[in-house]
Amino acid sequence: MPSNKLSRHALSRRAVLRGAGVTLGLPWLEAMGAPSAANPVRFAALYMPNGVNVPMWTPKGTGRDYQLSPTLAPLADLKNSVTVLSGLWNEGSKGGDGHYVKEAAILTCATIKKTQGADLANGISADQVAAQRVASQTPLASLELGVTPVAIGVDAVVGYTRVYGSHIAWANATTPLAREINPRSVYERLFRAASGLNADSARMDALLLDRVLGDARALRGTVGAADRIRIDEYLSVMRSLEERVARANAPAARTWKARAAMDPKAAPIERPRDHQEHVRLMMDMIALAFQTDTTRVATFMFGNAVSNVSFRFLEGVSAGHHDVSHHQKDADKLRQYQIINQWHVEQYAYLLRRLAEMKEGESTVLDNSMVLFASALSDGNSHNPHNLPLILGGRGGGRIDAGQHLTYAEDSPMSNLYVSILDAFGAPVERFGDSTGHLPGLLRPSGSESSPAAVRLNPATRGVESARAAE
Amino acid sequence: MTNRSGGGHGKIVIAMRLAVFIWLFAVSLFATPGWASFDTAQAFLQKYCRACHTGNAAVGGFRLDRVAAPESLTAEAAKWASLTRRVRNLEMPPKGAPAPPLDESEAFAGWVDQALRQAACANGIQPGPARARRLNRDEYSATIRDLLDIHLDMAQSLPVDGGGGEGFDNAAETLFLSPLHSEKYMDAARFALDFAAKEFKSRNKILVATPGPGMPEAEAARRVIAAFLTRAFRSPVDNSTVTTYLALYSKARSAGRNFEEGVFFALRAVLVSPRFLFLLTPPNTTAAMQPVDAYSLASRLSYFLWGSMPDEFLFDAAASGKLSDPAVLKVITRRMLRNDRSLGFAQRFVEQWLATRELTSSKRPDAKLFPEFDRDEELRSDIRMQPVLFFREMLVRNLPVLSLIDSTHTIGTRNLAKLYEVQLPINRAAANQPQWVELPPGSNRGGLMGMPAVMAVSSYPYRTSPVLRGAWILESMLGTPPPPPPPNVPALEEPAAGAAPKTMKERLAQHRSNAVCASCHSRIDGLGFALENYDVLGRWRSEAGGKAIDNSGELSGVTFQGPAGLRQVLLERKDLFVHNLTTKMLGYALGRGLTLSDSCTVDSIVEQVKNDGYRAQTLVEAIVLSVPFRYQAAQPLKSAVAAASKGSH
Repeated sequence: MPSNKLSRHALSRRAVLRGAGVTLGLPWLEAMGAPSAANPVRFAALYMPNGVNVPMWTPKGTGRDYQLSPTLAPLADLKNSVTVLSGLWNEGSKGGDGHYVKEAAILTCATIKKTQGADLANGISADQVAAQRVASQTPLASLELGVTPVAIGVDAVVGYTRVYGSHIAWANATTPLAREINPRSVYERLFRAASGLNADSARMDALLLDRVLGDARALRGTVGAADRIRIDEYLSVMRSLEERVARANAPAARTWKARAAMDPKAAPIERPRDHQEHVRLMMDMIALAFQTDTTRVATFMFGNAVSNVSFRFLEGVSAGHHDVSHHQKDADKLRQYQIINQWHVEQYAYLLRRLAEMKEGESTVLDNSMVLFASALSDGNSHNPHNLPLILGGRGGGRIDAGQHLTYAEDSPMSNLYVSILDAFGAPVERFGDSTGHLPGLLRPSGSESSPAAVRLNPATRGVESARAAE
Repeated sequence: MTNRSGGGHGKIVIAMRLAVFIWLFAVSLFATPGWASFDTAQAFLQKYCRACHTGNAAVGGFRLDRVAAPESLTAEAAKWASLTRRVRNLEMPPKGAPAPPLDESEAFAGWVDQALRQAACANGIQPGPARARRLNRDEYSATIRDLLDIHLDMAQSLPVDGGGGEGFDNAAETLFLSPLHSEKYMDAARFALDFAAKEFKSRNKILVATPGPGMPEAEAARRVIAAFLTRAFRSPVDNSTVTTYLALYSKARSAGRNFEEGVFFALRAVLVSPRFLFLLTPPNTTAAMQPVDAYSLASRLSYFLWGSMPDEFLFDAAASGKLSDPAVLKVITRRMLRNDRSLGFAQRFVEQWLATRELTSSKRPDAKLFPEFDRDEELRSDIRMQPVLFFREMLVRNLPVLSLIDSTHTIGTRNLAKLYEVQLPINRAAANQPQWVELPPGSNRGGLMGMPAVMAVSSYPYRTSPVLRGAWILESMLGTPPPPPPPNVPALEEPAAGAAPKTMKERLAQHRSNAVCASCHSRIDGLGFALENYDVLGRWRSEAGGKAIDNSGELSGVTFQGPAGLRQVLLERKDLFVHNLTTKMLGYALGRGLTLSDSCTVDSIVEQVKNDGYRAQTLVEAIVLSVPFRYQAAQPLKSAVAAASKGSH
């Protein structure tokens, strides 16, 4: 007769469920230098899942004399600093399935490969093109943030790993970038990166990294092609740490100075009480990173693809996000859909205002930034990839002719937007994805006498053409 | 949408046909079509593909003669698989060309699938490649815990890993590395070792030698580092490896660090090395498949059943060479299952397989509507742990895996008894702990489907949904997920909260009014409606919104009543269930997605489990003894060496 007791000894539920949260120590703040004269240009992309209630999103009129729509109303005081874009899409995302193929490609303009993981393939994302170009100029190359963990498992219904729907930033065709969702960890990471290492720690870290890189190089020669991708990832991320340590080791090479001081006591709480607070804290982290110049590139995901986060905390909403996005033209669901969309725009406006409050000489950090708000669907009900809801906030250091509603012929490539953004950022490319040129009307002519030359992206890391051939 | 016509409608119909079609393929396991032989398949290809795929000008460079001989099912398996996929997705024949009727292409695709499996198995079972894979965050945390003997959960400080392959976060293919990881590994190594240095027990475990009379400093350092390296790299290390890490100690010493600081600095590097962070199998450079080496096998075992590094016993077993003996492996497997650490396996496997991990995130019941769940942490953990502990008890007690469909026992706690509104024979002496209890006769709580965790993750956070529950059963229990609702077609209207409730028959009538919807939803909803007696939290109810619950279900034209009827329906399809469970567990054990050639392994394991009364331990043992678990494919190094010499600088 088996006993009542669980095998071995009964297990304490708390021991099983609760892990002691670990907070890593925070080093003390070091002296900060004065901001240098030239204001750097920053680029952030905020991604909202599940599309929009289209009639309530689209502004009336075009050019400068346009009227904000109800959903865009939270941007009223920022109207002169934002550019609303209509008519763009990512052609490579039209097939596949309703969500993953569109949302994973929002910054890559590629066609992702349908896979449960074995042969993951997207393209490099626009933010990473920018980040890789300025990586050596700031402590962190880029910041990848979110508020919900990576969605688990594979979506067996459509045959894609949910890794696709959980990442918009891709270092290359095969490597998505992990996100941070704990605001306190982000703060500590920024703080540590900005503080840098003291000479002694830097010397020791250099020794350590040299050793482990040696292990990786030795391994590389003994593994097959599939494993080499992983070892190369290891080499790549460890080398970038090594470079950072090397800069700390050679003060002459360390040209970076924080443009604003960070208050070590201002670390945010670890577990925000609700969704809105969580999002706001992450917006604060982007603002802080840009203000201090700890990084110039950031991406943020309001949720994963197909997110069904409950928005019942909003007055008048009774359902989850994805659920409501399949409104089936039901008036009440459309109403709720709009409320959820508008809430996202409010959070975006919050970030823009934070950046606008941050002075940089005669300008503000917002003036020197480009903050994209994007969804990979227009109407979520039909998974419509045409005419994507896109707003670009900020002036990109004066290059963006903000304050307009720019409309383009239906199905103009969104990749042209990235060509223009990368140009304004100072990382011009000849082509991005299926781009055909700049996005007309967005940029003022470059006043700079020495703009960097446009580079050709390596098609091997982009994977666009080959993947699209299957379409 | 009765009288709609025009281009839009045509598009819709094609999209729906596609979705339905893919699914019909998936459910072909319900009833394998009796159609086809190699010749009929050839006739099909000749009829629909020959016009474009013949001769030197064959479109896309694909010529039918490549797949004209039966041997091509082996030699050109990839070609067969890809052409079938395109036929199945209605990409081929292309628009404008004469297309086969759906039932014909379905039969064709189903036959090819079966034929490929048979062909793949004809040459005997083959192992896949041994892929290097990074420890995921749970494994990293558990390994640090066991390696340093500290009670510290490092998982929270690492990013969450996504899932791949069969749906688990230990799949090699999706365990990529970001700059964020490298920073976290550096921080975590420092933090964990600082912590260990202050703990008496772990310090002693690490410092196997200390300088003193007869023990020079350098020798003590060498011993400490060598012992640690062996355990951290999960395999004996050669002298040159020890020397390179010892060099770090020496450099730290000359930089003014004391003995202990110097040693711990070298250990910190060990914890950031790829040889610690990755599970690596020495490559098989021969021309044939080979058993993996004993230490790699020990790691495979321990990461499968414990989610952590091998313990001393397992390490010694590897050293003794006994792991190559299947009888020894069986004994060790049972021992490992009985160990407390197998709870980690149960939790990670079950919570990802059943998606109950989402109870804490996207599937968390709404706080306002279900305050008892939101308020009571103990109830939450009871609900969440019930399927996990049930699964582990099934393993340890070696019960049939069919217990997951129906059982006389469950995991009970005071909270769960209260939620069930039944008396459970709970031992009062340990009343606040989960217990293995017998259910009252006629209870509707046997198996997974009476469990609140499962009922909650297959609901919306605010109400139940027969559609979600039906889809959950098809995907998680039977491994035959339904296709997504086709684009541009309204999903089936479900009654909104507060609307006049309809009976199941009325709701199904809505499906039936649209043939395309009905083809999928009659399978989905019929399963889900049988569970309508359970609310979002799995509480029993006999009415909702003032109307009695109609819990009659239907599948393939057969009707049944309530959860008991549903369990019967699933038991009648037990081989499908066992096939699905085996597929999931093999994918988890191998840490990768399964391939065509793995399907022979799955079939063979299912056969062994069936022949042994569906015993749970037989399933685990058969996986451990399987070819893909113990062997690795030939992996000629030529290309690897060439690329390495090109890539090094």
